[in-house]
Amino acid sequence: MVSRQLQTLYRDLQRAFDARPADLKKCGVLLAQLKIGLIESGLLLPNGEASLNDMVIARDILEIGAFWSIRAKDVPSFDRYFSQLHTFYTDYRSSLPPSKREFPLRGLNLIRLLTQNRIADFHTTLESLPLAADEISLNPYIRHPVNLERWLMEGSYSKVWNAREEAPAEEYKFFVDSLMGTISRNEIASCEEVAYDSLPIKDVATLLFFSSQSELLKYAQERGWQVDLSAGLIRFARKNDEQMEIPKQKLIEANLAYARELEQIV
Amino acid sequence: MASTDAKPPKDGEKKNEEKKNEEKILTPTAEIKVNIAFIERAVSELEPRFTHRVLRSLTALRKRTNDKVLRDAIEENYPADSAVKAKLLSWLPPATEAEMDVDSTAYPPSTPPSKPTSDPVPEVEIYLRLLIIHHFHTSKENYAKSIQLSNETVDKMQALNRRSVDPIAAKIWFAVERSYELGGELADARPLFLAAQRTAALRHDDDTQASLINRLLRSYLHYNLYDQADKLVSKTTFPTSASNPQFARYHYFLGRIKAVQLNYTTAHTNLQAAIRRAPPAKTAPGFYQAVHKLFVVVELLMGDIPDRSIFRHPVLEKALAAYFDIVKVVRTGSLSEFQATLTKHAAQFEADKTYTLIVRLRQNVIKTGIRRLSLSYSRISLRDICLKLHLDSEEDAEYIVGKAIRDGVIDGRIIHEKGWMECEGRKNGYGPDVSEVYMRRIAYCMDLHNQSVKAMRYPQDAHRKELAAAQGARERERELAKEIEEGDLDEDDGGLGGF
Repeated sequence: MVSRQLQTLYRDLQRAFDARPADLKKCGVLLAQLKIGLIESGLLLPNGEASLNDMVIARDILEIGAFWSIRAKDVPSFDRYFSQLHTFYTDYRSSLPPSKREFPLRGLNLIRLLTQNRIADFHTTLESLPLAADEISLNPYIRHPVNLERWLMEGSYSKVWNAREEAPAEEYKFFVDSLMGTISRNEIASCEEVAYDSLPIKDVATLLFFSSQSELLKYAQERGWQVDLSAGLIRFARKNDEQMEIPKQKLIEANLAYARELEQIV
Repeated sequence: MASTDAKPPKDGEKKNEEKKNEEKILTPTAEIKVNIAFIERAVSELEPRFTHRVLRSLTALRKRTNDKVLRDAIEENYPADSAVKAKLLSWLPPATEAEMDVDSTAYPPSTPPSKPTSDPVPEVEIYLRLLIIHHFHTSKENYAKSIQLSNETVDKMQALNRRSVDPIAAKIWFAVERSYELGGELADARPLFLAAQRTAALRHDDDTQASLINRLLRSYLHYNLYDQADKLVSKTTFPTSASNPQFARYHYFLGRIKAVQLNYTTAHTNLQAAIRRAPPAKTAPGFYQAVHKLFVVVELLMGDIPDRSIFRHPVLEKALAAYFDIVKVVRTGSLSEFQATLTKHAAQFEADKTYTLIVRLRQNVIKTGIRRLSLSYSRISLRDICLKLHLDSEEDAEYIVGKAIRDGVIDGRIIHEKGWMECEGRKNGYGPDVSEVYMRRIAYCMDLHNQSVKAMRYPQDAHRKELAAAQGARERERELAKEIEEGDLDEDDGGLGGF
């Protein structure tokens, strides 16, 4: 049974979380206390004896914790909350009433995997969703990361950029921003290096979604591009002509291996 | 342990013929009796080969059993007052009069009623239980009973703890899985499998281990638990002495896991191995079709176009019709058609669990489209690309073409100021990557050769005879050489003399 103290803490947390704007600091303090409370009553990792009502409360607390971690921009903490929630979402799926926060959180988890460029994990998680394939395109929370992944893979980066506006929940924006800042920008930059000889600075800025030139110049320096300010051009160094080299070592090794095998056969 | 499935073809043929003859002559009851004799021999001679032989006929035998056959088999092989017999018989419904009559007319006393005096080895009991479980699977009302019997049999097997049971145990596990699947939740059997898998690994019980790993993988994949399945694969080693069918299954499961994880090359190798190891298409059409479905999708995802002959194969033609449509669309590189085909066959893809994989093909469709354009035009405006590939905006087209150039799909560059793409023609077909492909193929052939050498079985002491023969040959050779030498000398002498 959940103790009285835990109940009041839980109610405090709900109030603090629902308040606009939410009191992040207070939530953090309350969550830490609540987690200790959950461990004491054996609810953090339920083992089948807890009552349904208590488990719903535990799940609620963890869900709030997961959202809170994102608002506080603490990704590892989100990761921890989500893995704790996993038990509630998979093993107790049939016994607990469904939570309306479940799919937003699952979607967030998917985006997190995308931002960390863990594409294989992304797909594994996607496969294990308790949704039929056609429901994926209907569920707004899941559809969003799935579309993002598709656009990233085919190279429609402008769609990824525009998707910030379509985020189904406030928390998604945090991830989409970081997605844009790290992965997409580097992807686009590496594409440009190969696809163009040179580009006007203005166009590079639009292609890379930079709003100011100074940001762009800093980025160009990081990647080692030659900036020609007088002509207003950025030149990309070509580096594919001289790398045609015959892998001698490998060929010799292979031939020796063949000789040995042939000797064994004959 | 010798693998019974990989042996020189000649031996296999002979066995097949033998089996055919057996089937023609023997009634199922008699066949069970023969099999029991084989099992006893296997146990007494410590030669698992005989047990494997019995188990190989299981599929054929399974279809011909019924309550009566099983009852007769039990009656015949156990002495009248045996406790085991009573227990086994309790699982089967009691005989009715009508059946008794049929017995006297349809089956003349083919087996002399020589009543055994003592219980046969416990392996026989397990074998009979296996047959009963399989028999239960044929009718719905017996599903609950089959789970009960499976559990009891598993307990019994573990209590017996005899190594000679192992080959039969492997089959029992398969039956257990089937019982749970038919009778209720497959997931309920997982703890049972996991525990048994640990024991089997500790005892180096290869047959059971192989069977159990496959059971577990199947159970995980059934519930889409790819994460757990992947972990299981990384934590276990699949026994190399496992039989071909088990290997085929294992490779198929691996292929599926790897395909989901975007590791298409490994998935491709695994699926290929699964196809090669699978039984002939006509014997196991279901497996053959399932593997090929996945294989086609993985091949498409790798950017290859599957061989057309696959779609003309009599067993596959119908099953792969939807996949053939997808291949055609990917080849043409039209996004709108791709979308249409996808929605048209969505239900089937979902049933095959390939839907999410096929959705991933979208980017391949675009890539093929761009490649076709780059081959046919030396210079094309981004706007035209956008129109031809049904992309949403020119901006997108620029990014997509840029990515295609970086990924090495096409060789070209974008002239941003003029808004077009210039292509530099095709790459020449020689270079390090060609030799790499060549090396990979050679390595595969070598491996195949070595594997087949390893898989061959030689009769014991045969090399002695060969040695003797070699000795004789060498002797003869020496004599011959001697003669030639002498002859030569003679001739020379003669020649010289003549001179």
